Amino acid sequence: MRKEWFARIFVILLLAAAISIPVAGWWKRSQGIVIHARMAETGGWTPENLTVQVGQPLHLRLTSDDVTHSFAIGQSDQPPVDVIPGEMTDVTLVFDRPGKYTFYCTRWCSVNHWRMRGTIEVTGPTTTTEAVAPPLYVTLGLDIDAKHQAEFVPAETPSALRGALLHQVIPPAYQSREYYLIHTPVELWKALGGEPALQKLYDQDVWDLVAWVWQANTTSQELQLGKQLYAANCAACHGEQSGGNGVFADQLAQPKSKNPTGMQAGDMPVKPANFTDPNTMLSASPAHLQGKIIRGGMGTSMPYWGPIFTEKQTWALIAYLWTFQIEMEKLP
Amino acid sequence: MSTLQEIPWLDKAAADENAKAIRQARTVRNRYNLLRISWLLPLLINRWPQFVIRAMTLAGFVFTITAGLIGTRVGSHNFAIIFVWIAWWTALKLSFIPFGGRSWCSICPIPLPGDWLQQGGILTKGRGLGLNLHWPKRLKGSWLQSGAFLLIGLFSAVTLTDPRVTGWVFVALFGLSIGLSLVFERRAFCSHICPIGGFTGIYAQTAPIELRVIDTEICAKHDDKSCYRGCPWGLYPVAFRDSATCGLCMECLRACPQDNLALNLRPFGADIGKPRTAKRLDEAFLTLVMLGSVLAFTSVFVGPWGWLKSAAYAIGSLRWVGYALGFLALNLIVLPGLFSLAVWAGQKYTGKKFPLNREIANQAQALLPLGLMAWIAFTVSFALPKWGYVVAVINDPLGWGWNLLGAGNILWSPDVSGFSPVLQVILLLIGLFWSANVARRLADSDYRRTVPIQVFCLAFTLGMLWLLIG
Amino acid sequence: MPVIKTIRWQPWAVWVGLALAVLFIPFPTAATTPTDRTYHIEASRFEYTPAVLTANPGDRVTIELTATDVVHGLSIDGYNLVTTADPGQTARLTFVADRQGSFRFRCTVTCGNMHPFMIGKLEVGHNTLFWRAIVLSGMTLVAGIWKLKK
Repeated sequence: MRKEWFARIFVILLLAAAISIPVAGWWKRSQGIVIHARMAETGGWTPENLTVQVGQPLHLRLTSDDVTHSFAIGQSDQPPVDVIPGEMTDVTLVFDRPGKYTFYCTRWCSVNHWRMRGTIEVTGPTTTTEAVAPPLYVTLGLDIDAKHQAEFVPAETPSALRGALLHQVIPPAYQSREYYLIHTPVELWKALGGEPALQKLYDQDVWDLVAWVWQANTTSQELQLGKQLYAANCAACHGEQSGGNGVFADQLAQPKSKNPTGMQAGDMPVKPANFTDPNTMLSASPAHLQGKIIRGGMGTSMPYWGPIFTEKQTWALIAYLWTFQIEMEKLP
Repeated sequence: MSTLQEIPWLDKAAADENAKAIRQARTVRNRYNLLRISWLLPLLINRWPQFVIRAMTLAGFVFTITAGLIGTRVGSHNFAIIFVWIAWWTALKLSFIPFGGRSWCSICPIPLPGDWLQQGGILTKGRGLGLNLHWPKRLKGSWLQSGAFLLIGLFSAVTLTDPRVTGWVFVALFGLSIGLSLVFERRAFCSHICPIGGFTGIYAQTAPIELRVIDTEICAKHDDKSCYRGCPWGLYPVAFRDSATCGLCMECLRACPQDNLALNLRPFGADIGKPRTAKRLDEAFLTLVMLGSVLAFTSVFVGPWGWLKSAAYAIGSLRWVGYALGFLALNLIVLPGLFSLAVWAGQKYTGKKFPLNREIANQAQALLPLGLMAWIAFTVSFALPKWGYVVAVINDPLGWGWNLLGAGNILWSPDVSGFSPVLQVILLLIGLFWSANVARRLADSDYRRTVPIQVFCLAFTLGMLWLLIG
Repeated sequence: MPVIKTIRWQPWAVWVGLALAVLFIPFPTAATTPTDRTYHIEASRFEYTPAVLTANPGDRVTIELTATDVVHGLSIDGYNLVTTADPGQTARLTFVADRQGSFRFRCTVTCGNMHPFMIGKLEVGHNTLFWRAIVLSGMTLVAGIWKLKK
């Protein structure tokens, strides 16, 4: 009889170990913050909203339940951390200023990848509301949803180098940063064409001058940064050569009934913008483009990048977008 | 009906001498009784070693289910998926079955709770629970096991990759086994439903281990059939025609008062190659289902056809219905049809004609070696490249970032691409040679009878070769 | 005195000799001038399009991998090459296909539950192992049927 009890206890102990080890692990896990990443269609970030005190470290353990994701904080220097399926990544965050921070996924995980966002509310003893200056398009009263067409388009791609080699003097008013930000290339072309000193130039030459002015408002570091941001954030929809034909373009253009992954009501089925089209690009000013980037929407699936990109990053991205309309090669 | 019987220690001394004499006296051609090895017999007679191993597999099984149900949903990082479909499957196909026949059944944990409830105790007999009904005669045979295996095949893409599904499937099997043990006598689940039992059984006929009676004269004089009463599978060892049904549980060994049972080492394929008169179409069907399934599994998992994988994975969709119909057609119509045609053609052009049913059941034996080798070759492609996950999953069974072995996030991937194609060719050629040999032996001295069957075997081999290395 | 079984070794020797010949005789290959090939592969869950690539021995093959839904990877069995592509960022891999045969390539970034089975095939020249195996199969069948053992 003794050996029967011995056998039973042996079995019970082994079974208890088999069940209690995972359960103990489960309990221990729930003591800390574990963020599960899933594609937006199946839940996105869980949990989505976190709170922490200013200066207090926030320990996060991140894991993915399906595909490769990545964790980054918008408008911060925090480098992105890959979130790998089946593995745990540890990250500790410390915020020195109170506010509402957005965290987001930086590796494309579905057509709705950009909707994978969450917030971290950082509370402090003295929460002052900072007055943030409204973006340019608001101050200018631009309607960034209005349709716009270029009245005139160049016969061939304007080249900054050719423009430089024309050795023309351009009135300083046109060369300021402020002018660049609030005017479209077509407006500059018309203005330059009206200058008495530049009357003798051909239309294409004037376009080259426009290119030269535009290029003078960018730096090669800016273009490099813009290129990286474009490749990581925009190319999947807008296309690697920005022809509006990225890998998700077809899915975005399908009507709601056929598009099971479409998430937001009211999203028009339309292909992403084609930045190689001079009609739409040359009739837009940098401020206009900034508005579209940071606000998104327009009834389409265009994301709003306001909480994600810093202002510097947005201008760098816009500078890069101009390279699809203008050859930015510099004078050596 | 009791299923346990202890040998009274008083009689043991005399019985030992007698048993030793029996074991030494009778030497069967081509058989080596492993129980002659002095340390092996006590190890098997004593219930503790087997019990300890089975208790551990039971705990492992419960851990697997838990991991499957609450661990990470990422299949490749979950203990349930990797340990069941990579580690255990490889062990089953590469060592348990080819070298031990139904040896997995001897340590399988699934029937344990049912057994204990039926007996009313683990190592001692108590007041057991259960209705102990006879299994319905119409449901006997391996038809249900074939059906169970086909069911797995239909849902394989999801079962083999989603930890939750694997977890729930095992809960279901466990529940079914316990439930059936409370209604029917003995190991009803193992004998009649378990899909693993189905194919380990038919391939056990090719394996080099068998449990057999030593001297039938002694059995003839023995009125109290203690081996039959002790067998949890309800078998009568004296009447063993082959090793397909014996689960190597060793209970008859413990029950026989004359120690008249031997665990023999024997040549490969000893149970097949002799003409059979029983119309066991169910075994023939299961043999063909195994051939069809290995072709299907190889195409889906190891082939380059993404559309096929997507169809197999998208359960419930129209594409999946197409896949399911194709899978069932292959297993229910195409292969059985072609094989029956081959048997019929073989008979048509020779003298003696046997009933087709009987001849199909008879000739199907020849397909067993080829099937065994094909499944081993498939496992080489399917599982060997993923053995790196086994270490990772021991280190972090639930995908929660544990570091039990200190191995960190290292994923070591064995590069089997150098030798695995050659290995697969060798395995398939061995299978083809062996099957051709068996088919020839069944030819009843007229080799033309088997030519269509040989062609069938060759076509299957070429098909597997193309899928694996083409 | 135990009876020693005599096995006719001559037919076996002939078979083994033929088998070795089949295994080691160099494959007759038409000489082709190595060219440059580019394959544009789209990777989705869980297939590569196209999944079967062909090349001649010596060709310089460039694979442009475009991921169309999630991050995917590609590694070729037998070649020590790996690349990863995020949607929107095409990855490029260039190598010289110096070995003949059929090589599987697989996804290297977990992209879902069927990820371990996301497989394609690179066929370089003739699949010499496959052809040899076919001939050996025929020979094996003959050996199995023929009464080679007394």
